[in-house]
Amino acid sequence: MKMLEVKNLRKRFGDNEVLKGIELSLDKGEVLAIIGASGGGKTTLLRCLNFLERADEGEIIVNGKSVYHAVPGEKTEVTPEAQLSFGLVFQQFNLFPQYSVIENLMLAPTLRAKRQRSEGTAETHEEIRERAEQLLKTVGLTDKVNAYPCQLSGGQQQRVAIARALMLSPDILCFDEPTSALDPELTGEVLKVIRGLRDSDRTMIIVTHEMEFAKNVADKVIFVADGIIEEEGTPEDVLVNPKSEKIKAFLSIINKEELED
Amino acid sequence: MEQFLAISLDLLVGFGETLKIFFVTLAIALPLGLLISFGSMAKWKPLSALTRAAVWVVRGTPLMLQLIVVYYGPGLIFGQMLFDSHSAVYITFSINYACYFSEIYRGGIQSISGGQYEAGQVLGMTRSETFFKVVLLQVVKRIIAPMSNEIITLVKDTSLARIITYYELIYFAQRYIKDGGLLWPLFYTAVYYLVFTAILTLLFRWLEKKLDYFKA
Ligand SMILES: Nc1ncnc2c1ncn2[C@@H]1O[C@H](COP(=O)(O)OP(=O)(O)O)[C@@H](O)[C@H]1O
Ligand SMILES: [Mg+2]
Repeated sequence: MKMLEVKNLRKRFGDNEVLKGIELSLDKGEVLAIIGASGGGKTTLLRCLNFLERADEGEIIVNGKSVYHAVPGEKTEVTPEAQLSFGLVFQQFNLFPQYSVIENLMLAPTLRAKRQRSEGTAETHEEIRERAEQLLKTVGLTDKVNAYPCQLSGGQQQRVAIARALMLSPDILCFDEPTSALDPELTGEVLKVIRGLRDSDRTMIIVTHEMEFAKNVADKVIFVADGIIEEEGTPEDVLVNPKSEKIKAFLSIINKEELED
Repeated sequence: MEQFLAISLDLLVGFGETLKIFFVTLAIALPLGLLISFGSMAKWKPLSALTRAAVWVVRGTPLMLQLIVVYYGPGLIFGQMLFDSHSAVYITFSINYACYFSEIYRGGIQSISGGQYEAGQVLGMTRSETFFKVVLLQVVKRIIAPMSNEIITLVKDTSLARIITYYELIYFAQRYIKDGGLLWPLFYTAVYYLVFTAILTLLFRWLEKKLDYFKA
């Protein structure tokens, strides 16, 4: 059974059709890298998967269960379970500034436990804290447990954001250009954490401009342009031996930029 | 000296009446303002338009006029007073200040980046959880300065209540002019206002310091 299947996902903003029938499928533990020029719809795709935007049409199936099925013209509800099938790490981190690192991790699970208390399945405060500490170890921030976001570097903030997303144990963790807001010398520590997650079998979707990283970490790469998947395959297929002219042009621009850097 | 003490104590009683207006107004206007700000930001256009129109009227007319309308209005229209002077003062001040607060809240709430709500949503938090657990404190931090201005203005606006026979500090002092030709108690009331606003200023400074530990 597939971990994720996306069928014919469509999204428009007014007259602007941004996603024109996206099809995806991912096995458990697979990592998908999404590349493409700015404005192609990559962010919108991730936002639709995380229900920050509602796709107008299409279906999202997680673990064989349809969690979102949009019919044109009808408003589709999103259940809490559907929401928590996905996690999202933002380009701008979006940490909660008034909470310390550990509190950032614990807030959402604590509120969830409070909601579930009536059902008797709730996690205890100690269990939540233990998981948070464990995850901070995973992202290498055990010494920052009680620091506030404003006291951290961008790279550290992004690692907190990754740990915070993992606290909700999403089936699929999405990243939208996780290193684009970082100084170049800080991207390495974040990419290393993501690589570590792949090695522990996380299913992930990563929008990135780091081609080397995509080549090393992804099992699959898709190239998105103008709302459609122009090319897909292994990193080898897409990044080394691309077929379409569009992607060749895109890669040559990226390569030039990298040389200039 | 004895007279000074006696008058000081008497004015203190008057200042107690002033403080009643102050605290009742805050207790009602602080939460009511939040409600009004939600109304003025409502997605449903008729509600937001109506709320904004009401806020415009309240902020666009003198508080003194509003006091007179609320106190004497029902008597003139229905031939029957609806409120005693204390209720009329509390109602008018609360609504007036709630409207001012609502605009400050609205500015503060709208200045918080959408990313905070989005982070809350993808972590499975409800919108109200995100608002009350995440956004609100950031809003508070951002609006301390304008709120402290309004609240200090409120201290002094309380003296308007006198015109619909709510006997507060200034009224107490003016009695000494009429009854004994004593003018100084009226000037002396400034000390009460100054001491109280000094306490408020310190309080706001403390709160600002207290929220200094994070950036928002
Ligand atoms: N909320 C929105 N309202 C209107 N247009 C939007 C919105 N979000 C994105 N778009 C448009 O959708 C297109 C794709 O944007 P985006 O998904 O951000 O692309 P990418 O992440 O690949 O750069 C752009 O033309 C953008 O202007
Ligand atoms: Mg983008």
